[in-house]
This record gives sequence, structure tokens and C-alpha cells, in this order.
Amino acid sequence: MPPPSEVFAARSRSHKIPVRGQKDFFPDDSEEQRRRLEQTLDEHWSLISEERVERLGNLVKAKWIPSEQMVELQTPAGKFWQTMGFSADGKQHLLPEEALYLMECGSLQVFYRDLPLSIQDGYEKFLSSSTVSLQQYQVFGHLKRLGYVVLRFEPSHTAEQDICTNDRIEEDKCSHGDEEDKKPPESHPTAAPGPGRTWWVTDDLGHQLDHQPVSGCSRWNFSAITFPDVGSTESSTESSSSSLLPPDPCLLPGSLAVGVCNVAPWRQRINLREVKMSSKEQRTEEDKQRHRWDINKDREVQRCRNWTEYRELLVRREGKRKGRLEHLWKREVTPLHDPTQPISTEELLEKISVTQSTDLLEGASSIKGSDEWRICFNVYQPDTVADFKKSNPGKPYSRMCVCSFDGPVPDLRAIKGLALQSGDVPVVFAVVDYGDISFYTFKDFQLPTDVYP
Amino acid sequence: RRDQSNSLNILTKKESLDQVRGPQRTTDEPPDLRHVVGLSLCDSAPLLWRVEDLRSVRSQGLVGALLGSLPRTPRQNGRLGRPLLLLPEEERLLSERRAAAGLPAGNRVSLSTGRVHPPGEFPWFMGLFWWCWQDGAGVELLVKQHEEEQQRSYEEQSVFALEDRKSALLRAMTSPHTDEALRGRLEALDQNFTFPRSALAVQLSTARAGLTYCPEARAFLQADWPMRGQNGHTRYQVFRDLRGRGFYLTSAGKFGGDFLVYPGDPLRFHAHFIAVCLAADEHVCVLDVLAVARLGSNVKKTVLFCSPGPGGGVLYTSLQWSGMV
Repeated sequence: MPPPSEVFAARSRSHKIPVRGQKDFFPDDSEEQRRRLEQTLDEHWSLISEERVERLGNLVKAKWIPSEQMVELQTPAGKFWQTMGFSADGKQHLLPEEALYLMECGSLQVFYRDLPLSIQDGYEKFLSSSTVSLQQYQVFGHLKRLGYVVLRFEPSHTAEQDICTNDRIEEDKCSHGDEEDKKPPESHPTAAPGPGRTWWVTDDLGHQLDHQPVSGCSRWNFSAITFPDVGSTESSTESSSSSLLPPDPCLLPGSLAVGVCNVAPWRQRINLREVKMSSKEQRTEEDKQRHRWDINKDREVQRCRNWTEYRELLVRREGKRKGRLEHLWKREVTPLHDPTQPISTEELLEKISVTQSTDLLEGASSIKGSDEWRICFNVYQPDTVADFKKSNPGKPYSRMCVCSFDGPVPDLRAIKGLALQSGDVPVVFAVVDYGDISFYTFKDFQLPTDVYP
Repeated sequence: RRDQSNSLNILTKKESLDQVRGPQRTTDEPPDLRHVVGLSLCDSAPLLWRVEDLRSVRSQGLVGALLGSLPRTPRQNGRLGRPLLLLPEEERLLSERRAAAGLPAGNRVSLSTGRVHPPGEFPWFMGLFWWCWQDGAGVELLVKQHEEEQQRSYEEQSVFALEDRKSALLRAMTSPHTDEALRGRLEALDQNFTFPRSALAVQLSTARAGLTYCPEARAFLQADWPMRGQNGHTRYQVFRDLRGRGFYLTSAGKFGGDFLVYPGDPLRFHAHFIAVCLAADEHVCVLDVLAVARLGSNVKKTVLFCSPGPGGGVLYTSLQWSGMV
């Protein structure tokens, strides 16, 4: 051990790091360069040789338990307990990577057989293929030093969820399969109803009533009726996302009883990833919205006061079409589009396109998880630390996959598999190159289209 | 059309040795043959822990990569601290020079006497077999030694703390009317000063204790580091050649190459080249060549394609856009 005088003196040493000056491009054998190099190296070695010295009172004491690959606290935990560690059997534990990080921060002293472990001991004892690898620890430490909350990713949870939701999808298909294609026309919840027009009546929606004239008094305020947004990220905190409350009974036909709807299987089937648009893309999108053909803007449709009238209109229109080109629809192969139906250029192009565009999650559920690629950590942003709860960490900012430049680039199968495991949280690849760590992420890219009606 | 004509005009150019000469031609032999560096494996990565070993490899022009938190300011990534991770090529160069050895795995206890040998009292002539892993009675001895050391440290630090307090009071004794009160406090301090246990400064050692504070221990380290990982021979030959020319090298993963090549210590100089290692008979796709060359010009570095020749030399080639319009 170093002499106590040295240790004692180290308590009051500086915590500043010397600033590095501008680097040079060419060595020119000048005295000036030699002097600067020497000074930089001196600073470098004094920083590197410095040892951690802490007041005993500021150190949390802990014990390494090799059989459990865990560290057990012996004195009360510090502030770090908010984001690290877990309790079991009335004892406080730290995972090996958490303990090693805290040792490096000078907050924790770990003992093994009543002897304090050095940082070197920590690296050699704590890091292994059964806990976390050195590269994974490098990524963990890098993110922790930046202030992120980093937790281990538990694949078992998501995998189980996947299995049971898939079962439910199968069930859904069997029982409701034949009802699915009877959908009302797409409607925008914010669109204000036109004057004198009421699409739904408050009382029974039996077939008979369809033919009765609608009384003008039972009009609904559509702007007050909100449609559920199944894909919304706000409602998707991991606990509450699975079910949808039944709609207000007064909105339903009297005989219809609707219970709680499990939307988890639906969420599985749609792309929940938020599309982040640049301001230019945003303008394009707004432009597109403006030009999009809206069924509600159709004058004839606006004049319809109920479903019956709308259906009659459709029949009338079909009759018109059939009058001219009826024979085209009588064969096995029918035209892709009815020219009497208004359609935007973009939609038409989409309709007649041979190759459909796809996204990362499409078909991902049928892919078997690979052993080569797995998510290691859930990462939470530093600004959430203040109200972070280990028991309910919420949705992570991203999930980390650790790999190195020596290994392969993940193939599409691996990326899809990881994207499915991760849900709507982006998967980030932390690529370790010896001391350097680079972060990459594969993103669904939406090709810009310049077709307008 | 334009792209095509552009690529047709590309000329490859053999870098003349003058351009890749490097700051100084060094011999293959390390400057300090006496120092054997102690390596230890963590998850199969070769790490250096002792400051003298870090200094030694740096003096041989090997940079490595620091991985640990810096003790002075642990919560930042700009400057890191020990351990130092060696590149496979650096590790191989050291073992080829017989300048590396495996660090023993733990504290040593003498088998025959059961006694822990304090630093400086190492029976070095007996060789490493004298020592064994801490176990049985040895551990108890080590624990006892640790407790005694801590107690001694506490007693000494109490004295320092008392001196600190006294000198602070003495500094405050400037005006005559406060003197009386201060003198009283000074006496009281002398009689009943207790240094709280929690204020004891303890060191959390970076490297494992034992050999660390014992200069003679180096003599123990026989240059026995095995050659690991013989693949990547091309990379190694290039590394050795460039180092031999006096360049400093670090890994260049984020630049899409094998090595970043510095004309001097990377602490003070910018990198000039991105080295891409290719076996002489290796086929390369022209797209890859163009991509890496474009990247190089974006970061104002020259991309060097490095291929070891049959005679032990290395051929350096760079790509130049020849502006024929």
C-alpha cells in the first residue's frame, strides 16, 4: 500500500482535467514541439497513475458472491440505488456490471474473502460470458458515464408476451373472420358533420329502421366522440396498452353489448414506430393531405342523410358504370380500378404497383430469433433519472445490441427479429472497436414521392 | 455517364517510400529490453494495469486503448484511464520481442512458511512456483495484514488531521484579542481530538496489489506470453512495417479501415493515413476501393492500401482522382 501520508494528501487534490491543446500536423523536430509533447505526456502519465482515494464514510461496502455472480451490499446503498440494484431475500444486490461501474466511480468497495478487490480484480472476476462480456461492459460504462440509465434487457418477458398474443390472433381470426369486411367508410374524427346530416341514430340500428326517415333532433356531435387511437405511443405504457375500454353505451345500438377489447394483438400487427419527419417532409405531407380525395367532400355523399341513402348512392353509381363497361366486370379478371370512382394519382399508382413497399416489422413475427444477435440493455434518457422507478421503468429510449467491427453486419432477418423483440423502441447497435464505441441504428426510410394529383 | 468516365480516369499510384517514410526509421528491436510487460486477460482481451507497463509500451510506440473510468473525474468519456487494451498486433509484437508475460492471478502467499511476503522481501530467487493462490490459512493472514495496515493508516492519518487543524488555527491567530480563545481551543484540540473513522482516506487500487509495489517482481515475469490468434497475418505485417517506420497506429474502425496512422504520438499529432490491409493476391471490388477513398478525402486523410510483398516488405498504394476533363 502507498504511505498513509500520500493517501491522506490525495483527499484534497484537484478534480480538473488538463486541457489538451491543438494537435500538430507534422513533426518538425523543433524544440517547441518536443517541449509540448513532453508536457502533454507528463500530464497524461500523472492522470493515468492517479489512484482512487475516498473517505471511508463515502464508500458503500459490499461482498462479491461468486456462486451467484452477484454483489451483496453490506452497508446502506447510496444515491445510485434509484437506478441500479435490486432487493432479494431482504438483501440489497448489485449486478456485476453495476458493481464494477460503481467501483470505478469510487462509490463502492467490494470485498471478497474479507479482502478489498482492486479494479483489476473486478474486471477479471465480474466480467465473463455468463454475466456480461468486456465489450458489453464497455458499452454499459460508456452510457452510464453519459448519464443514461442502463438496465439489462430480459428477453423472456417479451417472448412470452409474443406467444400468447399470437394465440389470441388465431382465436380472433376464427370467430370474427366473416364480419371483418363490413367496415364503414373511413371517417375523420375531427370532421364536423354537415348541416342536416346524421349518419347514426341513437336508437336501435335494426335493418328495418334503416328505411325510416331520420329525425333531425338526434344529431351527434362528432367532434366530441373520440375514436380510439390504437397505435398511439402515449397510451402504450407497457402495462395499460393491452386493453381498450368499451365505448360509451349511449353511442351503441341498444341491443349491442361491447366489452373490453384486447388490442394487443392488433398492436402487434401494425407498425407502431413513430415517423419522425423533417420540416420539409412535414410540408409535403400537409400538401398531400390537402390534395387527398376525401369521401366526405363528395357533394353527393354529403347529401346522404343516413347509411341507406349512402348505399343507394353506391348502387346508383355502380349501375351507371355497369351501363357502359359492364362486361369488364363480368369476367374472372376485373379492372384494377373503376374509372368512375375518383382517386388521387398517388393512390392509383399504389393500386397498380406490382411491388408493394414493406417495412421492418412486416413478416417479422414469423422469423425465429437468432442466437447470434440479441439485445443486451434497455437504455433510458438521463433527463428521466429524477423520476425513474426501477419497479416501473416504463418504455426505454432505446435498446442496445453490442457487437464489434470484427463480426458480421446484421442481416435483414436479424434486424427484423430484433425489431420485433423491441416493439416500437428503436434498436441501436453499439459497435465496439477496441477503445472506440460507435452507435448505429437501422431505420425504416420512407422514400419521398413527387406525384401529386 | 459522367460517373463512368470519372472512374475510368482513376489512376492508382504507388506511394513512394519518401511519402510513407515516417518520422524516424526505428529498428525492429524495442528500446528497453529489460522491461517485461505484465499482461492479464479479461474475457480473452489482453489488458495492462500497471503504470510502468503502460509507460513501457508507450515508449515502444504502442498506443493501445484506455478502457476504464478516469479516477479523477470518472463520469465522462473524453479522457479514460486504466486498464489499457492492446490491439492484437500490439500484443503479438510484444510477444515476438519477448517483452510480455502473463501477470499472476492473485496475491501470493508462501507455501512453505504460510507467510505473506511484504513488498521488498520477495524471495525472487525461488521463482514463481513458490507462491500459490490465496487460500486456506493464507487468506486469513492476508486479511490480518490488511486490517493491520488499515489501523496503521488510521493512526497516521489521525496525526496528519490533527496537524491540519492546528495549523489552520495557528494561521487564524493574527490579532491579539482572539489569541486567548484560540489558544484555548488549540489546547482542547490537543487533548480530545478524535479523527472520525469515516474520514479515513482509503485507496481503491486500480491494479491488483502484490506485485504492483514491488520493483523486483518484474524479474519474476518471464517472457512467457504465448502467441495467440495467428490469423490476421496481413494486418500484423503491415502494422510491424509501419511501426518500424516510426508511425504510431490506432484502430480505424470508425473510418472503415484497419489502422489510423499518426506521424507522432497521437496525443500531439493528427493522423495522416487510413491503412487498409489487403493480401497481395486479394481481389477487391472497385466500389469498395472508391468508397473508402472517398471517405478518406472527406476526413482529409490519405487512404493507403497496404499489401505485404513476398520479400517481407509492404507495398503501399493510394488512389488519386486524376482531374482529366
